[in-house]
Amino acid sequence: MSWVFSNPLVTLSDSEKNERDKALWEAEDLGGITEDNNRVPVPVVALVFLTVLTAFAITFPLWGQRPTAAIYVDYVKTLNSPEVQAIQDDAVAMQKIVDANKGSAQASQIERHPVSLDDLRILAPQIEALQKNGADLREYTVVGPQVVLSNYEGNKKADGTRERFQPWWDIGYTIDIFYLLAFFLGATIVIKRLPPSSWEPTHKHDH
Amino acid sequence: MLKYLFAKNEDIPTGTAAVFFGFSSIVWFVIGTGLGSFNAAKLAFPDFVMGNEFLAFGHLRQVHVHAVIFGWISMAFAMAMMYITPALGNTKLWSEKLGVWNCFLWNVGLSLGLTVLWAGITSGREYSDFPWFIDLYIALFIAIPLSLNVWMTVITRRTQGIYTTNWFFVGACFMLIIVFLIGNLPEFFHLTGLTEAYLTWWFAHNVLGLWITPVAAAIAYYTIPKVTGNPLYSHRIGHLHFWSVVVFYSTPAAHHLMSAPLPEWLKSFASVEGVLILVPAVAFVSNILLTMQGKWNMFVENLEIRFTITGCLLAIPLNMQGGFQQTRAINWYVHGTGWIVAHAHLALLGFSTFLEGAAVYLGLQTLMKRKLYSLTLGNVHFWLLLIGFAIYWISMTIAGLIQGAGKIYEVPYIDVVIAEHPYMIARWIGGTMVFISNVVWLYNMWMTAREGTVVPAGRMPHELAYER
Repeated sequence: MSWVFSNPLVTLSDSEKNERDKALWEAEDLGGITEDNNRVPVPVVALVFLTVLTAFAITFPLWGQRPTAAIYVDYVKTLNSPEVQAIQDDAVAMQKIVDANKGSAQASQIERHPVSLDDLRILAPQIEALQKNGADLREYTVVGPQVVLSNYEGNKKADGTRERFQPWWDIGYTIDIFYLLAFFLGATIVIKRLPPSSWEPTHKHDH
Repeated sequence: MLKYLFAKNEDIPTGTAAVFFGFSSIVWFVIGTGLGSFNAAKLAFPDFVMGNEFLAFGHLRQVHVHAVIFGWISMAFAMAMMYITPALGNTKLWSEKLGVWNCFLWNVGLSLGLTVLWAGITSGREYSDFPWFIDLYIALFIAIPLSLNVWMTVITRRTQGIYTTNWFFVGACFMLIIVFLIGNLPEFFHLTGLTEAYLTWWFAHNVLGLWITPVAAAIAYYTIPKVTGNPLYSHRIGHLHFWSVVVFYSTPAAHHLMSAPLPEWLKSFASVEGVLILVPAVAFVSNILLTMQGKWNMFVENLEIRFTITGCLLAIPLNMQGGFQQTRAINWYVHGTGWIVAHAHLALLGFSTFLEGAAVYLGLQTLMKRKLYSLTLGNVHFWLLLIGFAIYWISMTIAGLIQGAGKIYEVPYIDVVIAEHPYMIARWIGGTMVFISNVVWLYNMWMTAREGTVVPAGRMPHELAYER
């Protein structure tokens, strides 16, 4: 064997060794078992690709996460309106808030993360306090009745603090793309450099 | 066993360690599923056996879990390794004496560990409940001697090639030691908080992903070609399986903690990897099913093949569930419910148990050179196990969906308890069927040892017709 760097996708074994390996593969009996080396069937290849695509599609970073405080801002405004404050019955008041915000930009998020009037009453002063301090509410998540700083840590901002709003490209998600590329690239090169991996021996006999 | 502990290695008959491991595993399976049935009865009928703390659910649950994982599953794996590894290398086990000692110390250590758990001395971390001194015992007297025997047998093999099953055995032994020592770091160094939570689930995930799943699959890679006589369909699909297990199964531990305040990027990473676990699953199932070409009649006629293919087919719903239930959108609903309990039993009692059950059937008959005593009892075992498991899995899945709905819609807890009561009874019935099936199995294998027809030299048990 000699190292060849000009062609990284060709086996490092010399042809004499390759022939020996092929003959061994055809003849060797591993405890009464032999191994074929059929190509991966096309439907299986398709299934593997579908799996990889699905893995990335279904885990898209903006789906299924905790609600940010930003999605309840309109609810807080409506809660503080005189019309809602005048309603005595909580169920009617909550319905009024929901109806008033139908079709808002946050409607789909609110639908995924509904809130009760009791919780909204606890959340409202926390959200208002953050607004008064000029905080970006997208950087705060709502965990039960608590508004807390998101535990996501993104790029550094000009003031030296970290962005806490999770962007669509997400660090973990991006790392995964590189991880997967590294795996497939590494595995392809290693397999191609090993003795002939595409040789298809014939084992017609039963053991 | 005792007489072989102090015998010379060359005086110990070939296969002794594997036979001891095989019978030990069945006995632990009976004990483990008996405890499971008892625990399930306590969930179905809350007034069942009251007044003794040592018979309380909280004391017995982890004893059930560890008896099954370290007694049944891992000892069946040890049996398979001590039988299959030398067979594939056309050689003997590197040290039969080490194997016998390994089996002896395993039984002693497990008995001690379960007693300690039963007494309530526990780390309190699910799946790694053993306290630190039992963890060290397991590493030193169970995992390392087993691995040493497997590795040395492969190194001293008399073949040039190494068959797929042995790559998995060698790799899984290596990964087990790493997983065990790192996963129990919170126990050794008193790590707390999120670090403890993450390492707890790093251990739990990887003991499944890097030990139980690959070793069970490796057994199927042996059983199917050996019994059908077909060559393994594809060496390169085996490569895809092996390397994708290493790469994709080792990374998604954080997907067990999707609602915990771990960094969101770590959960995103883990979630993608969680779906990618389907890659090794696709490779494994396709390789095994394609190896069966032309021999599907054996799925009906041969017990070992029926067990193996059933386990292989159960890998499909297992991995579909496993891949998707950990995504944020679905995990939000099913986390902390009986759905997860059902999934865990699909992995350990469905997929894994059927594969290693086949190995124990095949290995014990081959090593003892005795044909199975009774096919009828074997069939009773298979169907009771399969139907009992199915009742358990389906009832707990439904109960989990009810609990999920109760959790999301904030239904009062007691209403959820009442709603799932019928499913708890079904769970107990299913679990009890599994327990009874294993008692039948133990009797059948005991009778095989005593009265099974002698298999002539040079023949395999599956080549002889069943007699009862």
